[in-house]
Amino acid sequence: MGTLNALVKRNIKLFFKDKGMFFTSLVTPAILLVLYVTFLGNVYRDSFLSAFPAGLEISEELIDSLVGSQLISSILAVSCVTVAFCSNLLMVQDRANGTVKDLTIAPVKSSALSMSYYFSTLFSTLVICIVAAVVCFAYIAFVGWYMSGADVLYLLLDVILLVMFGTALSSIVNFFLNSQGQMSAVGTIVSAGYGFICGAYMPISQFSPGLRNVILFLPGTYGTSLIRNHSMRGVFEEMTSQGLPSEVTEILRDLVDCNLYFFDNIVGVGTMYLILGGSVILFVAIYIFMNVLKIRKN
Amino acid sequence: MSNIIEVKNLFKSFGDVKAVCDLSFCVKEGELFAFLGVNGAGKSTTINIICGQLYPDSGNVVVNGYGFDRNPDEIKSSLGVVFQNSLLDSSLSVYDNLESRAALYGIHGDSFRKRLHELETILHFEDLIKRTVGKLSGGQRRRIDIARALIHSPKILILDEPTTGLDPQTRKLLWDVIENLRKEENMTVFLTTHYMEEAAGADYVVIIDSGKITAQGTPLELKNSYAGDFITLYGVSEEEITKFGRPYEKLRDGYRISVENTGKVTELILKYPEAFRDYEITKGKMDDVFLSVTGKKLTGESDNGHA
Repeated sequence: MGTLNALVKRNIKLFFKDKGMFFTSLVTPAILLVLYVTFLGNVYRDSFLSAFPAGLEISEELIDSLVGSQLISSILAVSCVTVAFCSNLLMVQDRANGTVKDLTIAPVKSSALSMSYYFSTLFSTLVICIVAAVVCFAYIAFVGWYMSGADVLYLLLDVILLVMFGTALSSIVNFFLNSQGQMSAVGTIVSAGYGFICGAYMPISQFSPGLRNVILFLPGTYGTSLIRNHSMRGVFEEMTSQGLPSEVTEILRDLVDCNLYFFDNIVGVGTMYLILGGSVILFVAIYIFMNVLKIRKN
Repeated sequence: MSNIIEVKNLFKSFGDVKAVCDLSFCVKEGELFAFLGVNGAGKSTTINIICGQLYPDSGNVVVNGYGFDRNPDEIKSSLGVVFQNSLLDSSLSVYDNLESRAALYGIHGDSFRKRLHELETILHFEDLIKRTVGKLSGGQRRRIDIARALIHSPKILILDEPTTGLDPQTRKLLWDVIENLRKEENMTVFLTTHYMEEAAGADYVVIIDSGKITAQGTPLELKNSYAGDFITLYGVSEEEITKFGRPYEKLRDGYRISVENTGKVTELILKYPEAFRDYEITKGKMDDVFLSVTGKKLTGESDNGHA
């Protein structure tokens, strides 16, 4: 355990020594928020307004809060995974510059070494994503706050779980990389593509049924939906109290992927947690197994 | 002295390239063992196999009585390695580097600080402990590399071209430290080097070429077998030298003649006593041995790659 702690400490120190990487990772969610508000805010707003029955009056603040909640949930869902990929580069760097040889020359267990990369990435990604969550909460407070204390705690739990998931996924993907060029290529692909396949950039409800069914096999999708559920619950509750029929709020929940349908069966929040948690355990197990297998193959 | 490293019938190929081919040798406990070869001869591959970084295609390696198949951790604990290039974390401090590496051997807290203090004293880096490794000079960084290799008090120290590119003062310091460790702790030193004067001080030398051993023995045995002797004659004319019927080299104040061995020198003295008024006999150098055995000269450049 002492060896694992020392390795995690080393990895975290190395991450925070690279101030450029740290601050870039830290600022990225804030930049994304500005871009989303500027370019997507009105698109989301129009989409919601078209779903309301004609003649129904809903307060501007409520609409703004709904739009803001969708924006922050998209940002957090994407950031938890993409930041993990950016932070989880040390294992590739150690291989590229040969440092891993200086570590494996010692009687260190391959599981300790691989888990040290996992835990250090988890820590650094969590720091960045929790800061991003705080910025997002501040934005929601600015446009209209309807979240309860439980919603905030659940949302933070969602972020933690999604970061664990992103770190495990990036550990498996980065396991196969050996150079800076490969790292950049994978980072670019993940940054560009993950938002689409997890339903952050575009709600899954707007995809074709075939594509929707495929995407629902990806565990990250449920992470996005969990964040959506907990950031929007208060807004929907307030809409109902302002007289919006429950049928309409259900349509809105379908529209923004709070409700996910796996082959026409609605997936409950508890099931989403099980899927995401199970994926984390499975991916971490695969990652450790890959490391053990590599040592034996060598 | 017992064998602390035994390598038997070692084979390792990378695709079509046979990096190591039927290599067998032993290193005795407490000796300074020199492993020589040009770039690509198979030195680094052999070291990587001994350290457990590579698995051989076939053959057997026993280190400190343990085989890698059953006791990899015991072997790794008994080895300290100074790599050709520093593999420490350049953006961390010397302290952070040594602390993280010590932890790999289960050395923490007070045990680490005690060992660190010992190494600081031996290698004189007290004033470098808070400095970032990436900002150290080549000689300073090499001292830290050696401290890292010695952090767990290994029985065997593997030095892979440790002094390449170092200034003479730092090189002398490192060799003084290594000699002291050998004397005081009976540490075995496994050395690869491009500096023949370092190899000349070894207890035993193995020369490899294209993955095979081409010569081995003590430096004296190798010089006697492969380098021959030199006679330098002073105060003689070139006419007298040509009578010997041997190749010679004209010096500023005399002539140097190459002979196969000391017996041939005696024959020449008895045959031409009038020419031997002022003379000296010297053994060949390890450079001559290496050139004679491999037909190649060691360049002093760093060995890169795996072979």
